Amino acid sequence: MLDDSSFRQGIRDSVLIILAVAGFGVAYGVLAVRAGFPPWLAVFSSVIIVSGAAQFAMIGLLSSGPVAVLLAATGLGLRHIPMSASLSNLIGLRPLGTRLRLAFILVDETFGLTVRAADAGVEDLVAYKTAADLMLYSGWVVGTTIGAWFGGSIDPEAVGIGVLFPLLFLGLAAPMIKSRKDLLVAGAAVVASIVATAVLPTAWQITVAAVAASMAGVFVGE
Amino acid sequence: MSDLVLVVAVAAITFGSRLAFLIRPRPVPQGALGRFLDVFPLALFVAIAATGMVAPDGEPAVTPALAAALGGVIGAVVFRRNLWGVLAVGMVFFYVTRALTA
Repeated sequence: MLDDSSFRQGIRDSVLIILAVAGFGVAYGVLAVRAGFPPWLAVFSSVIIVSGAAQFAMIGLLSSGPVAVLLAATGLGLRHIPMSASLSNLIGLRPLGTRLRLAFILVDETFGLTVRAADAGVEDLVAYKTAADLMLYSGWVVGTTIGAWFGGSIDPEAVGIGVLFPLLFLGLAAPMIKSRKDLLVAGAAVVASIVATAVLPTAWQITVAAVAASMAGVFVGE
Repeated sequence: MSDLVLVVAVAAITFGSRLAFLIRPRPVPQGALGRFLDVFPLALFVAIAATGMVAPDGEPAVTPALAAALGGVIGAVVFRRNLWGVLAVGMVFFYVTRALTA
């Protein structure tokens, strides 16, 4: 049984995310159709993949062939592994069905909210993440549907949707910086990201930068 | 490979990576792995923010997105690391810079 107050808090905390995600969903729907997907396949991909990064990479690399797309999806998927371990630690022992459900929508946004909720002492993290996941999933699929069928005249970039996402992550990271070690990890992540963008393909930049900065954190004391 | 098969394959890869540690409960990692997992979310979020704002087009450049990053950091300091403060000040910096550079 999910805790009602944690569920409601998950809904409240993800209101902003649903707006941003829906905007990105519209952009994805527009781009997927322009890349050659029929509208139903654009929507179906959002229903079963639920990963903005993997889906945008898939569309962007479609002309490069399936191997490039699958490699990019693998590179982007690597960052889910530590997230999966972190979430597993946070929620503890749960039934298989619950873990499968939480894994299906293990995305950066709701993972970030859940980590923040754990820090804030939210009672039922499964209820909280379930609510945030439902909000995100609805926004992503509805946004994609709008973009795929009616997206010809919509320009999500005109309202600055593109910058809202990275800004959201800056906002999620800020409360996590509590010690000199955290500050060092954040600084290392910035430097590693700049280097990664200069030398690595897009699909690997975030994963490599995050792992490199985390490694720096492992070897530094508090 | 048809587009439908490609979509299903990407979905399988993505779900598989997400299941890694959730498919069955395991003991909480200790030692170096535990410390790694402790700092990984912070490193990941900063990396996502940095790649999206410092290098939105694939290489570092001075853009409205970079101004948004500066605004976000100022918002974090002024509003004591509050999420909404970061977003509000960051978006104001973004819109002002975009208007000034248009």
